[in-house]
Amino acid sequence: MKREDIRVAILRIEGTNCEEETFRAFARLGVNPEYVHLKQLLGMDCRKNERRDIFDFHCLVIPGGFSAGDYVRAGTIFAARIKSKLSKELKEFVIQEYPIMGICNGFQVLIELGLLPGIDEIISDYPKACLMTNDSNRFECRPTYLKCENRGKCVFTRKIKKGEIRLFPSAHAEGRLVLLFGKEKEMLKKMEENDQIVFRYVDPDGNYAGYPWNPNGSVDNIAGICNHIGNVFGIMPHPERVFYGYQHPDWTRHGYREFGDGRDIFESVVDYLVRKL
Amino acid sequence: MIERLLIRKNLPFQLYEVNLKEAGEEDLLNISINLGLSLSLDEMKKIKDYFMDKGRNPTDVELQALGQAWSEHCCYKSSKVPLKMYLFDVAKDRIVTREDAGVMEFDENHYYVVALESHNHPSAIEPYGGASTGIGGVVRDVICMGAQPIALIDPLFFGPLDCKYEDLPKGVKHPRYLFKGVVDGIRDYGNRIGIPTLCGQVFFHEKYIGNCLVNVGCIGIMKKRNLVHSMISKPGDILVYVGGRTGRDGIHGVTFASAELTEESEEKSRSAVQIGDPIMKEPLMHATLECVEKGLLEGLKDFGGGGLSCVCGELAYNAGVGVEVNLDKIPLKEIDMAPWEIWISESQERMMFVVDKKNLEEVLHICKKWDVLAVPIGKAIGEKVIRVFYRGFKVLELDVDFQVAGPVYDSCKRPHIPRRTEEKEEDFPMPNLERAFLKVVSSPNVSSREWIIRQYDHEVRGCTVIKPLQGIVGRESHGDAAVIKPLENSFKGIAVTADVNPNFLDKNPYWGACSAVDEVCRNLVAVGAKPDSIADCLNFGNPERSRVMGDFYEVCRGLSYMARSLNIPFISGNVSFYNECNGIAVPPTPQLTAIGLIPDIRKCVTVDFKKEGNPIYLVGETKRELGGSEYYRLLKLEGGIVPRSNPNLLKRYMDAMLKAIWKGCIGACHDLSEGGLAVCIAEMAIGGWVGADVDIGNFSNGLREDFKLFSESNTRWLVEVKEEKEKEFERLMKEKKLKFYRVGTVTGERLIVRNGRKELIDLDVDRIDKAWRRTIWNAMG
Repeated sequence: MKREDIRVAILRIEGTNCEEETFRAFARLGVNPEYVHLKQLLGMDCRKNERRDIFDFHCLVIPGGFSAGDYVRAGTIFAARIKSKLSKELKEFVIQEYPIMGICNGFQVLIELGLLPGIDEIISDYPKACLMTNDSNRFECRPTYLKCENRGKCVFTRKIKKGEIRLFPSAHAEGRLVLLFGKEKEMLKKMEENDQIVFRYVDPDGNYAGYPWNPNGSVDNIAGICNHIGNVFGIMPHPERVFYGYQHPDWTRHGYREFGDGRDIFESVVDYLVRKL
Repeated sequence: MIERLLIRKNLPFQLYEVNLKEAGEEDLLNISINLGLSLSLDEMKKIKDYFMDKGRNPTDVELQALGQAWSEHCCYKSSKVPLKMYLFDVAKDRIVTREDAGVMEFDENHYYVVALESHNHPSAIEPYGGASTGIGGVVRDVICMGAQPIALIDPLFFGPLDCKYEDLPKGVKHPRYLFKGVVDGIRDYGNRIGIPTLCGQVFFHEKYIGNCLVNVGCIGIMKKRNLVHSMISKPGDILVYVGGRTGRDGIHGVTFASAELTEESEEKSRSAVQIGDPIMKEPLMHATLECVEKGLLEGLKDFGGGGLSCVCGELAYNAGVGVEVNLDKIPLKEIDMAPWEIWISESQERMMFVVDKKNLEEVLHICKKWDVLAVPIGKAIGEKVIRVFYRGFKVLELDVDFQVAGPVYDSCKRPHIPRRTEEKEEDFPMPNLERAFLKVVSSPNVSSREWIIRQYDHEVRGCTVIKPLQGIVGRESHGDAAVIKPLENSFKGIAVTADVNPNFLDKNPYWGACSAVDEVCRNLVAVGAKPDSIADCLNFGNPERSRVMGDFYEVCRGLSYMARSLNIPFISGNVSFYNECNGIAVPPTPQLTAIGLIPDIRKCVTVDFKKEGNPIYLVGETKRELGGSEYYRLLKLEGGIVPRSNPNLLKRYMDAMLKAIWKGCIGACHDLSEGGLAVCIAEMAIGGWVGADVDIGNFSNGLREDFKLFSESNTRWLVEVKEEKEKEFERLMKEKKLKFYRVGTVTGERLIVRNGRKELIDLDVDRIDKAWRRTIWNAMG
């Protein structure tokens, strides 16, 4: 399929607020992104021409933000609203291997939805992991280094070699990945086997390190994961905030370059869709 | 006492007629006090005359409306005259418009918008709510011009964090509690609405113990064709109330802001603090901007001080028309509110749309889509009168001009005596410089602000191209200004900085104000931006004191002198008086937030040293000007001359510096301010995680070593020049006949400062980093 025919839904509700930079990242790559309010998928308060269906799109992205204020656990309300009506379609969407990405708050939503970690199922009835309050008990806005751990399963990182280190900024208060109590080891092992670990936090030299390089205390330094099929991807740091070179925090030290470390995430999924469709 | 003058109307709701006809002078004052109007006797008399002319008594709704409209906060009665005299006309032709926010040209098709406000008193009582609603208010000021907010600014002023509890006046909260609450409030609100908090300042001083200052600013960007004014367009236009419900929170906010804080403020004025709801604001912002983009709005105004009353008054006044409003339509939080409460409540997250009838349906649909309440509540009329109805009864009828124009105080009504300043540099033995250096670097006013900055999302929206913290990742230092690139298809950037040094103003308001302008300009130039406009938030004590008013005039005169010569307009701001507690006023604090433009953000420069071997230059002249300096403060020295500034000289320096930066001669650049040369080198070394070897022997001959290191003279920068561009840089400086000195080289892991052969400081950069980085972390945990 031609790039301009690929339709990407940038899903939002009240409190979603990284939609513009996410939209721009896709638009810049020549595909056709569209802001879609959840109510347009649910058919609430919208006119006929505003009504949308999940299958109008080839890719679904849940951007960062504080959906519904995140006054309950982050992402819970957004997830509950999706799940109450769209569970079936969503499951079908994943089975048909259309890609879904959640960044930051979007990752939190995917976990709460049960789409992630998705170790041996498409969507679980209840969340099997959680993104908990950072160890520092504070909102942390800081640059973080991520090491790509994926051997090729995740459709969002195929343009990034395993072992490569990228700088994506973090900005969250709830990003510490926690797995089911008592089953952590087993789950981690399966995720490793399934090639579901996508990124881990490292220091600038590439070593697994503690705070502040791991800004939240996430288990096994995990920053991003995908489901067992590789088409549902969640990540805490923000690749869309380093799409361009000048968005990097230290670009004045290294000279100007056009594109930043995050572009390959978007390029990977667009490339996947071009081939798939 | 005044009960006999209050006549309860026989109606199914609470409405009083206030019997001004039979009120004597003492009664008038008591009415003002008991109804919480904060109006003076003269003003009450004026009101009485007005109603006697009409041949009737006012209702409580009418008196409350006037109390709001005529408060210091809303009508600037003490400051209008000096502001007009000094500030309003500076570079006026460059301003597009100055309403709730100031509007300036960004490029051929876009404007940028700036708003700056104080939220001092609410924050002193309830720091979390006060600060977050401050952000909420200033964001609405920007939206209501039709602009997308793109950056937040938060200059804060507190008492010392290590202040002893015994030293706190009664009823005053500890600076640590206030500081944490304010930062939490800004964080939770700013992060949730998804607007980056880009820059600010934090300053600690004993005189802020009783009355902290919380100033908040917002910058927006918009297409020129989307500019919406705060006015009705024609009779028949419909007023649509949009956003949150109206409640009892935030009643008498403006009158509370226009009186001194006392130990009873907590009890009495808690209800004056509003409650913010960022998740109401976020969709409200989307809905409003969608309506603006589709050209559906005739006028737009946010609900600020004075609530519905002020919004309706100003929308009508600006257009020379009147309005009729039906209070029954207002969505309420509590159904038993009296009409006067509904009319003046300052509940947050509300906007007023002025809509032509034909667009009403579309506007209501857009709001519904975003789950934002939108209700038509009234309409514009040709007659210049405000009429308010409640349950079929007319509860207010006021002439628009009488309510809105307000009384203006001329200079004879507010006496102002400029203070006499005697400044002298006195002699004292020079202390150990290495120790003094570490002390200055780790002092609360100099040390790292990382603790705060990392709690704010300063990158959301992906437009922040120069961050507030600059340098090697994990080793960042303070930048002078942050830069945003607001448009996807243009490399043009907006630089923002916020600064003022209250220590200078405490000693010399005039030169302190001049220094503030000098400093913000320096900051902008340091990243490569040309200063374009300034927003000013003028925080002072009680204006009824001639000394305070004297300081106010001096500050305005100083700001005017500098800005006029530089041709930089004051595009937004506010005046906050009565920042006093138990008779102690804050230092005169004209907080300046300045905006600079940079044609191509790829030319931007940061503060961190880049490359070993590059030469370091000091640009500008260092004088014995240490009055109000951090160095003297730590040595507990009272004297000293506050730094002077010459705007014409500053302009020449700025031009040359910008040329050098835009031509790519410069690797790193930092302005010299608090802590002088010493702190400047330290911050550059920390950010680059590299040392420097600096010789201070070849400039300002005859000046003692400590003065060279810690003087805070204006119009100076420290510059790392790229080795291969040294000649070009020197030529640029010489062309303009400017003072510049090659003082050292970027090298090694230690910071070495010498005077010829004599070594003054020799410290590991890591050691300096630790001293500089930990202070606020240690105090706050």
